[in-house]
Amino acid sequence: MSKFIDRPRYTCALGGALATLRAIPRAIPIIHASAGCGHNLHNAINAGAGYLGGGYCGGLSLPSSNVVERDIVFGGEARLREQIASTLEIVDGDIYLVLTGCMVEMIGDDLDAVVSEFLDYDKPVLPVHTPSFRGSSYTGYELVLSALIHKFVRKQRQKTPLSVNILGIVPAQDVFWQGNLKEIKRLLEKLGLKVNTLFGEGEDLESIRNSGAASLNIVVSDIHGIQAARKYEEIHDIPYITTGLPIGAVGTEAFLRQVAQALSIDPAVTERVIAEEKAVYYNYLERLADLYNDIDLQRYAVVVGDANYVPAVTRFISDELGWVPELAVITDLVDDNDKPVLLKRFENFESGLHPVVKFDTDASSVKKYLTEIWPANHNDKYFDSFGPTVLIGSVYERDLAQQYGFPLLTVSFPVTNRIVLNHAYAGFNGALSLTEDLFGLLVAAR
Amino acid sequence: MNYLEAKSAPAREDRLKANIAFGGTLRDIKGCLKKGCFGSEGCLNLAGRRFSQTQGCQFTLSLAILNTLRNAVIIMHAPIGCGICSISNVGVNKTFKQLRDPQSEGIIWLSTNLDEADVISGGEKKLREAVLYADKEFRPETIIIANGCVPSLIGDDIDSILADLQTQTAASLVPIHCEGFKTKVMATAYDAVYHGILKNYVKKPERREYIAEPDLEKIKEKYRISRHVNVLNVGSMSRADELELQRLLNALGLTVTFIPCYAEPEDFEYSLESSLNVSICGTHDDYFVEHIKAKYGIPFLIDTIPIGRKNTDRWILKIAEHFGLEKEAQRLIQEENRELDKSLEPFRQKLAGKTAFIAGGEVRILATAEILQDLGIKVLGFKAHHFDQFVEPIFDSLEDLDDAIVDVATNQPFEQANILKRLKPDLLVTHVGGNNIAAKQGVPILPLFGPSYNYLGYSGVFEVARRLNRVARNGQFNKKLAENVPLPFKQEWYEKDPFTYIKQQDAV
Repeated sequence: MSKFIDRPRYTCALGGALATLRAIPRAIPIIHASAGCGHNLHNAINAGAGYLGGGYCGGLSLPSSNVVERDIVFGGEARLREQIASTLEIVDGDIYLVLTGCMVEMIGDDLDAVVSEFLDYDKPVLPVHTPSFRGSSYTGYELVLSALIHKFVRKQRQKTPLSVNILGIVPAQDVFWQGNLKEIKRLLEKLGLKVNTLFGEGEDLESIRNSGAASLNIVVSDIHGIQAARKYEEIHDIPYITTGLPIGAVGTEAFLRQVAQALSIDPAVTERVIAEEKAVYYNYLERLADLYNDIDLQRYAVVVGDANYVPAVTRFISDELGWVPELAVITDLVDDNDKPVLLKRFENFESGLHPVVKFDTDASSVKKYLTEIWPANHNDKYFDSFGPTVLIGSVYERDLAQQYGFPLLTVSFPVTNRIVLNHAYAGFNGALSLTEDLFGLLVAAR
Repeated sequence: MNYLEAKSAPAREDRLKANIAFGGTLRDIKGCLKKGCFGSEGCLNLAGRRFSQTQGCQFTLSLAILNTLRNAVIIMHAPIGCGICSISNVGVNKTFKQLRDPQSEGIIWLSTNLDEADVISGGEKKLREAVLYADKEFRPETIIIANGCVPSLIGDDIDSILADLQTQTAASLVPIHCEGFKTKVMATAYDAVYHGILKNYVKKPERREYIAEPDLEKIKEKYRISRHVNVLNVGSMSRADELELQRLLNALGLTVTFIPCYAEPEDFEYSLESSLNVSICGTHDDYFVEHIKAKYGIPFLIDTIPIGRKNTDRWILKIAEHFGLEKEAQRLIQEENRELDKSLEPFRQKLAGKTAFIAGGEVRILATAEILQDLGIKVLGFKAHHFDQFVEPIFDSLEDLDDAIVDVATNQPFEQANILKRLKPDLLVTHVGGNNIAAKQGVPILPLFGPSYNYLGYSGVFEVARRLNRVARNGQFNKKLAENVPLPFKQEWYEKDPFTYIKQQDAV
């Protein structure tokens, strides 16, 4: 049984579906819902994802049936039929996905039947049931992918050797999705793989249609994208592995070795790639050797955000930057069954540290945990205070950061105080960017 | 007017016969107004579209006001997605609140996160938990409960739950019934919000009563009230706009309170000790001021919006008439116009002869056309969110615009894209939100409003002129986008009449 949420850090199933389609060139969503759903969700996604923008036919261009009271009373199917037909007349796309909001699902509009009337159209028109009450953005991503995997991805019995699809990075919900996918693709290509990230640079609708030829799916998340991976396994016979989101040398080395092992790649090749990458990486990181040690840039840290970033960032700052993360708060709606696998990510830090890990969806909770993990000063002359500290979170943590005087780096949705284009935090290059951004906060006044 | 016995405010298509789908010229619109099409006849108010694009709803527009109320927590009683647009407001909202009170907090909201189980068994338990949590955790003065479509359909009895909870909370509980599907006219949101405010927020201030009544105090108090007005601000106004209007009214010897945006409960209480409620935009305020008049006897003024010189002159004069201050007002207007007119000269030289298209709220776009005409810019057309009777006073300020195209459409960028392709204006002045399409048509854009910029009053005219001039100086950003990024509409669409998809609907 779910509870209320203090300032959710995700939109709904429809929002996740819209964001996912936003990432597919020339994919056109047709919303069957009340007039405000698309607009509301665009405002959240645009701002929350570092100003992602509406794109080709998103934002306020989203075709939407805008059902009103009379449609709810008499049924919205006629209006939907009209809207699909007119959208096909006006909007130039390569695939059309009809998404539902809450009201039309509650009154029982027969989406599948209406959509099936457009089977003869020369471009695919697919139904996806995405009412808000079915879940969060992550659910929307799974639902859209499942629909595509089921009805659009070409069945290929003959798999292309060494070809992989990347799942688990949810567009917009991972604010740096595009940069992250690009870096992951770059690294895996160095291993000699053919990499399909489904979304992002170099990918289009054809990439998705051909994703059935992959010999392995790599889910770079412990909890997101797994339903899609299972769907691929069930329908297209593609096995999958789950890895964490690779951030930094430690995380990315482990990631590359895990992938290489799953595909039986010659370990010599893998080790050569890792060595090459690390040489470049440390050539950059080494620049900090002076300043870090000249002025003591070690920091305490608190990490707040989604289930992909929090474990990866916490380990990176602990095991590579040498910081002291004391508290990690995972803000996704995490099923109890999934908590152990996430908790495992915080074990065996090379630093030997054991940050406190919490699962909590409420924005107001972070402060409570902060007072829990570190006692307040009761006017003691000698007090070991919690500082200096850097807060890594979302824009919701800004008030807390201001109150405690902690510098804040926003990495997890919503990120409204940054513009994000091709910036990445994944892999080796992403970790360098993260390092720049974190230490950049500390030298901003110099 | 008295709708307060009802649970929620009526939809504007019913109350005002407002229209959201119409294509023609300003001459056609004027004819329609004369015939009463936007009034009691309402022959246009059922129009709709065969193709439509997403637009705001009552819920999202209600939040635009509710989010500004100080010392309040908002509970969005709905599935998790409803009202999540507040994300786009978390930073700026706090900044703008702090312009009024440096101690203000940003927006705090809870979603009751209704899921599939709640859709079947009702969301009442979660609503109770959320209200009690908000009261205990944040200790706000007010907890606003805005409900989306779902609770309305599953039949949650929100008012009864809140009446019961009110005995357990320190905060006042204010329900706002703003289900998106209830109306086609997004502006019904203003009525929905005011409905809740009128029922649960506005009350007489508790004043200390004198045991003996000193005459001087009584006279002073009476005089203070006799020279006090409330100006009903709107979420799209800036603090700079408020300060400009305050300056002008202070010049007539009047004092001002601004409600409802960025106000706190006390401001609403003291607003009842006033001589006049002044609207700056009928689209926003008629529901509120009519009810306040009926309930508390405070007269109101709904006329034009003080955007542009003639509209500002008229707005000041109308207020002055109420107080018998016409002579003072005339002197003020004369002096302000003399100064402003001179300041506009350099911009007229640069902007005269250019063409423009204006899109946004009905009242605001027509008034903004006056500024553009003042600068010598030719206005080719308008797109209005909706149309109703409140535009009439503004026609007087405009010259020779009968042939301008009017598209009545809440959002619907596809129609605007078609029209812009035909009209090819040099400049676009538009409402926020749907501008990525217009941008890819290569036109330089000035936002129609901006909560950190000045648009109202005399200083607003100068500010618009100055910014428009800057925007016109370099349109490379949008021009380059247009050269490199395609629009989503098929070529056939541009060959069709822009109003092809407007349809008439039968009454139910």
